[in-house]
Amino acid sequence: MKKTRNTRSTTLVAALLAGFAVASAVSGRAAAALTTPQMVDILKIVDDRQKNNGDWRASAYIEQKERDKVDVVYETEYYRRSSDQKFMILFLKPKSSAGQGYLRIDKNLWFYDPSVGKWERRTERERIGGTNSRRSDFDESRLAEEYDPTDEGEEKLGAYTAQKLLLKGKGGIDLAFPMIRIWIDKETKNVLKRQEYALSGRLLRTSYYPKWKKVHSESKGGDVYYPEEIRFYDEVEKANQTLVMIKAVDLKSLPANLFTKAWLESKSR
Amino acid sequence: MSKLGVDLTIAFRSLVQHRRRTLFLGTAIAAVTTLLVLLNGLTTGVRETMIDTATTLSTGHVNVGGFFKVTAGQAAPVVTDYKRVIEVAKKTVPEMAFVVHRGRGWAKIVADTGSMQMGVTGIDVRSEPKFASVLQLVSGNIDDLAQPGTILIFDNQAEKLGVKVGDAVTISAPTTRGTNNTVDVRIVAIAHSLGLLSTWNSFIPIETLRKLYQFNQDSTGVVQIMLDRKDVDRKIPEISARLRQALEQAGWRVMPADPRAFWMKFQSVAREDWTGQKLDVTSWEDEISFMTWTLTSLRVLSIVLIVILIAIIIIGIMNTMWIAIRERTREIGTLRAIGMHRLGVLWMFLLESLMLGLFATLTGVAMGAAIAAGVNALHLHVPTGLQFFLMSPYLHISVHGSALFWSVFGITLVTVIAAFYPSLRAARLRPVVAMSHFG
Repeated sequence: MKKTRNTRSTTLVAALLAGFAVASAVSGRAAAALTTPQMVDILKIVDDRQKNNGDWRASAYIEQKERDKVDVVYETEYYRRSSDQKFMILFLKPKSSAGQGYLRIDKNLWFYDPSVGKWERRTERERIGGTNSRRSDFDESRLAEEYDPTDEGEEKLGAYTAQKLLLKGKGGIDLAFPMIRIWIDKETKNVLKRQEYALSGRLLRTSYYPKWKKVHSESKGGDVYYPEEIRFYDEVEKANQTLVMIKAVDLKSLPANLFTKAWLESKSR
Repeated sequence: MSKLGVDLTIAFRSLVQHRRRTLFLGTAIAAVTTLLVLLNGLTTGVRETMIDTATTLSTGHVNVGGFFKVTAGQAAPVVTDYKRVIEVAKKTVPEMAFVVHRGRGWAKIVADTGSMQMGVTGIDVRSEPKFASVLQLVSGNIDDLAQPGTILIFDNQAEKLGVKVGDAVTISAPTTRGTNNTVDVRIVAIAHSLGLLSTWNSFIPIETLRKLYQFNQDSTGVVQIMLDRKDVDRKIPEISARLRQALEQAGWRVMPADPRAFWMKFQSVAREDWTGQKLDVTSWEDEISFMTWTLTSLRVLSIVLIVILIAIIIIGIMNTMWIAIRERTREIGTLRAIGMHRLGVLWMFLLESLMLGLFATLTGVAMGAAIAAGVNALHLHVPTGLQFFLMSPYLHISVHGSALFWSVFGITLVTVIAAFYPSLRAARLRPVVAMSHFG
C-alpha cells in the first residue's frame, strides 16, 4: 500500500516536472518571438542609423552585368534632402547616358533624357538606368514607415547572427517591392541581406550589403551609416547582376534650386 | 375522305411502294438538309460569338467615342463630359438595353522578364456583369479588378510577359500633352485568350486609366450602347443616324460617319485642323471592321457550299424522277385512260415530291439540330489558329427555330421545283403511248 502511494507521488512529481519543462520551453519560445512593436523598433533603428536629417551628396558607380552583353559601368552623382524626401540622381558616364537623370519631387519620380529633351514620370519599380537597382536603394531607409514586419526568427549569416523579418508593404504607398525578407545584424542593426518578392511570392531580387560605412552628420548630430557596396542578383534573369559602389559622401547643404527640373536639364546643355 | 386526303394517301402509298427509291432520295435530301442546318448554324454561331465577344471586349452595339485634340496634331481617344452624352443617348435611343462607358488607351506593359505594347481598356467591372460571364479565367479573380492598381490580361500575354497572378507590371503611356506617365499595377486575373480582340487588349480599372492619362472624372474613352438582340441586325444604321443628329443638336461637333475602328482614324484625325472635342458615332461592325472579313469569308464559303448542295439535290431529284416516270409510264397511261386529267398526273407527282421533301427535310433538320446540340454540349475546343478568328476557344453552332423553318421550306420547295419538269413531261404523255410502253 505504502509502495503504491510512493509510486503515485513519484509519478505526480515526474508529471509536474515534465509539465514545467514543457511550459518553460513554450514560454522560452514565446519570449524569443518578437512582438510587433519590438520589430517596428528594430526597423526604426535601421532607418534611424541611415537617416541624415539634412542634405546628402555622393557618387555612385553602378556596374551592370547581363548575359550575352558587354558589362556597363555608370558613373553617377546622387543628391537627397531628408526634410521633404527629395531625391535626384544624375548620370555622368558613359557618354551615351550623360545628362540623364531621375528627380523625385512630391513623391513623384521623373526621368529626364536629354537626347529627346522630355520628362517621363516613372514609378518606384523603375530600374535605374536599366540596371537592377531601384531609386529606393540610394535613398534613406524608410522600412518602419512603409512596411509591416513579421518575425521569422534568428539566422546565422556567416559570422553574423541576423534577425530575419518578413516585411509586407503598407497599402497606398508606391514601393519598388511589395514584399521583402530582410536579415538585420543583431549586434549593429546593419542590413546584411534582402530578398525582394512580388505579391505572388515570386523572388525577384537578392541583395547583399557586405560593407557599411559611417560619416558624421552635423545636421543629425550623430553618425549616418550607409552601405559602401551593394550587390544585386537578379532572380528572374539569373545571369544578371548589379554592383553599386557608393563613394565621396558629402553632407553639406545643397543649393535650394538643385531639386528642380531646370537644374537637371541644365546639366546636359 | 376529301380529294386532298385521297391524293395525299395515293402519294404516300406510292412512296411506300417504291420504298428503295424513296429511302435513297429521302436520305440524300435529309443529309443535305442536315448539312445546310449545320453550315447555317456555324455561320450564325460565329457571328453571334463575334458579336458577344466584341461587345464584351471592345465595343458596344452603338458607340459614342471621339477624339480630343489639345493641339491640331495630337489626338487622344477621349470623350469629355461623358455623363451628358449618356443623358442624350438615353433620351434618343429607347431601344437601349443598357449603357456603359470605358476608357481607351494604348500603352507599353513592362514586366520583369519582358514587355509588350497593347491596348488598355478602363472598365468599371462592377457595372458590367456580362464581362465576367464571357471571360473564362485561367487564374485569379475578376472581382479584384474593382480594386485600383490592378490589371486583367490574357494567357497569351501572360506567357509572353512571363507573369502570373500577383506579379506587378508597369504601364507606360504618353498623356494627351505628350508626357510619358507610368503606373504600377498588380495582375489579378488571367483569362483564356478570345482570339484577335484579346491578343492586343487588357483591362484595368477606369480610375487607374484616368491616373495613367491624367484624365479628370468627367472624361472617358467611349460610351457603349447595348441594344436588345432583336435590334442588333436591323436598327443600328437608323439608331446611329438618330444619335448623330441628337448629339449635334445638343451642341457637340460630330465626325462624319466612317466605318472604321477608332484606332484606324488617329492619323486622319491628327491631320485635320481643329482642336477640342469631336464625337464619333460608330457601330460594332465598324469597330471590328478589320476582322469582319472572317465572317464575310465564312458567309461566301457557306453560300458556295449551299449552291453546290442544292445543285446536287436538283440533279438527284430530277434524275430519280425521270427514272420513276419511266418505270411508271404504263401506270400513268392507265390513270389517264380511266379519266385522270393531265393536271391530276402533274399534281400527283408534285404531291409525292412535296411529301418526300417534307419528310426528308424534317428528318434532316431534326438530325442537324441534334448534332448541333451535341457539339455545343461537348464544348469542342477549336485549334489555336482558328480561335484567333472565331474569338472563342470553343466551337459554337447556333441553330434557331427560324433557320430550321427556312431550311425545311427551302429544300422542300427546291425538291418540288426539281420535280416539276419531269412531272410535267409525265402529265403530257398520251395514254395510248403510255399504256403500250414497255420499260
